[in-house]
Amino acid sequence: MVTANPIAEATVPTEALERPWRFNLFARWPWLKRLVRMRSFQFLVILPNLFMFYLFIISALFGTPVGNRNIIIVFVWILWWFMLIAVLVPFGSRIWCTICPLPFFGDWIQRRAVIRVRTGKSPGTENSFFGLHKRWPKRLSNIWLQNFGFLFLATFSALLVTRPIVSAAVFGILFLVATVLAPVFRLRTFCNYVCPISGFLSLYAMTATVELRSVDKDECLKCKSKACIRGSDKGWACPWNVYMGKLDRNNYCGLCFECVKSCPNDNISLFVRPFATSDVVVRGYDEVWKACIMLVLALTYSVMLLGPWGRFKDWANVSEARNWAGFGLFAAGQALLALVIFPGLYYVSIRLAKWYARADSVPTKELFLKYAYMLVPMGLLAWIAFSVPLLMVNGAYIISVASDPLGWGMNLFGTADFPWTPLWPHWVPFLQVPILLTGLYYGLRGLHKVGRRIFTDPAQLHRSLVPPAALLVGVTLVFLKLFIG
Amino acid sequence: MAGVVAVVLVLVGLPLVLWHWRHVTSVHRYPPGTKIVTLTAVAKGGVWTRDDIVGLTYWWRKPTRIGDVPLNHGDHVVVRLRSADVLHSFAIPLLRLGPVDIPAGHTVDVEFDAKRPGTLTFLCWQVCSPEHPGLHGRFVVKGNEQEETW
Repeated sequence: MVTANPIAEATVPTEALERPWRFNLFARWPWLKRLVRMRSFQFLVILPNLFMFYLFIISALFGTPVGNRNIIIVFVWILWWFMLIAVLVPFGSRIWCTICPLPFFGDWIQRRAVIRVRTGKSPGTENSFFGLHKRWPKRLSNIWLQNFGFLFLATFSALLVTRPIVSAAVFGILFLVATVLAPVFRLRTFCNYVCPISGFLSLYAMTATVELRSVDKDECLKCKSKACIRGSDKGWACPWNVYMGKLDRNNYCGLCFECVKSCPNDNISLFVRPFATSDVVVRGYDEVWKACIMLVLALTYSVMLLGPWGRFKDWANVSEARNWAGFGLFAAGQALLALVIFPGLYYVSIRLAKWYARADSVPTKELFLKYAYMLVPMGLLAWIAFSVPLLMVNGAYIISVASDPLGWGMNLFGTADFPWTPLWPHWVPFLQVPILLTGLYYGLRGLHKVGRRIFTDPAQLHRSLVPPAALLVGVTLVFLKLFIG
Repeated sequence: MAGVVAVVLVLVGLPLVLWHWRHVTSVHRYPPGTKIVTLTAVAKGGVWTRDDIVGLTYWWRKPTRIGDVPLNHGDHVVVRLRSADVLHSFAIPLLRLGPVDIPAGHTVDVEFDAKRPGTLTFLCWQVCSPEHPGLHGRFVVKGNEQEETW
C-alpha cells in the first residue's frame, strides 16, 4: 500500500478542472451545418425579424398609445424579453444576435451586399468593405459604454415598457447609431461596444448551453489563412473580430456563423455543453460591473414593477406622476446601488475572503475579477425569476394583440377581444423560488470552480469562499423576501 | 438581388397593406353609403375627438374637442369608438343605445340609423376620470322640418 502524501491528497487534482463535456451538433446533424453554411442563412433569419421590427415602429407611431394594446410593448417587453432572458440566452447563447435586425442596414452599407461576399483587401481582412474602416478607440474597447447605456435605459424603464413612442424612440436611435457607425468604424463596432442589449447578452451568454468553437484548436494554430477572423471568398471577416483559435468564452461571439462558412479546414462547430459550467472567467472590471448592474437592476425592477410599493412606482413613472424629485431620488438611488454600493459590498467580501483565507499572495484584483463569476448565473436566474410573472400575468395580451397589433380594430385571428386572463398567478412564487435557488446553486458552484483554479489548498479555498458565498446567499434572501414576502 | 427585392418589398409592402386595411378594408365591411364616424375618448381634458390619437400624437398634441357631428336624415351610421387611455363607455340615451364599454386601446363599433331629424346627445357613461363630465357631444341630424323630431 502506497503511503499517501497528505499535501498531495489535500491538493485538488488538476484533471478535475478540465473542461466539461461537449457534444458536437454539426457532427450529429449535418443538415444544421449545411443550413448555417448557406450564404443566405443570416439574411433569411433576419428578414422576418426586420419585418416585425418595422411593424413595431409603425405601430408605435401610428397605433394606439395604450401600451397593452400595442404590439411594440406587448411583443417586445413581454414576449421578446421573456424569450430572450429565459430561453434564447441560456439555451442559445447569443442566438439573438444572429437574428437581430438593428445592424442589418449597417452591414448592408459596409458590405454593399445583402447576401454575397466581396473579396478584397480592406485592412486586416480578405474582404472588401465600404467606408472608412476605422478602429474604435482603444479606451472605449470594452463594455463600459454598454453598462452605462443599459443603466440609463433602465432608469426610464417605467416609460420604456409602457409607452409605445418611447420604445420606438429608443429602438429607432439604436438602429440609427448602428447604421451610422457602420461606414465609419470597422466590422460590428456597434454590437461590440455600443449596443446596451449586447452588453448583457455577452455576460449571460457565458452560462449558455451552446458554444461555437473550433473542433481542434491545434488545427487553428496551424492554419495560415485565419479565414475565420480575416474572411475569405466564402465568408466575411468575423464581424465581432474573434479569432476561433483563441476563443474560449461565448461573450463576444455573435453567432453569425461567417467563420463556419469561411473556415478552410471545416474545423468550426456548434457544441452543446452543460449550463453555467464552461465559461467561468470574468476578464475585466467592465464585466464585473456589468454583473453587478444587472443583478441590482433585477432587484430594483422587482421592487418597482412587481412590488406593492406604489410610491416607488410613482417615482419611476415620472411622465404620469410628474414627481421629479422622486424620480431623481429613484434614478440616483438605482445608479448608486448598481455602481457603488453593491460593487462595494462585493469588494468588501473579496477583502474578507483574502483575509479569512490568509491569501496574501493572491492579488485582490485577481480574486475580485475571478470570483465575480458567481454573480453571472445568479443574475441570469434572478432575471428569469423576475420575468416569469410578466409572462404569466400579462401573457394574455399577446393573444389579443396578435389579432389587432395596432389597436385599429383588426381581428386577424379572431382573438382581438381575448380577455386579460392571468395564467395561474398563484403559482408564480412557487416557480420563482426554485429558479432563484437554482441561480444560487450555480453561483456557488461557479464560485467553487473558480476558487479551485486559484487555491490548491482546500482549507484555504473553502475559507476564501465563505464571504462571497455569504453575499450571494444574502442577495438570494433579499430576492426571496421580495418574491414571497 | 433577391435579398434587396425582399427588403424593398417589406419596407414598401407593410405600410401599403396597413394603409389599405385602414382606408379600404375596414370601411368596406359595411354596406355602401354607411356613414362612418370615428370618435376617440380622451380622459385628460375630458374630450371626445375625431383626431387620430396615436402613439406619435398622444403625448404632445392636445386633441380637438368635437363639435356637433352632422348627419343626414336616413343615414346608416357606424360610430367607431376608441379610447386613448382608460375604460370609457359610450351611450346615446335618446336612442337607448348603450352603454357600450370602450376598453383602453380597443376599437368598438356601434351602429344606428338616423331615422328622424334632431339632436342626439352622446356621452361617456362611466366616471372615467376627474374630467369625465366634459365627455359629451351631439349628433345633429338634418332633415325636413315638417318631420317628427326625436
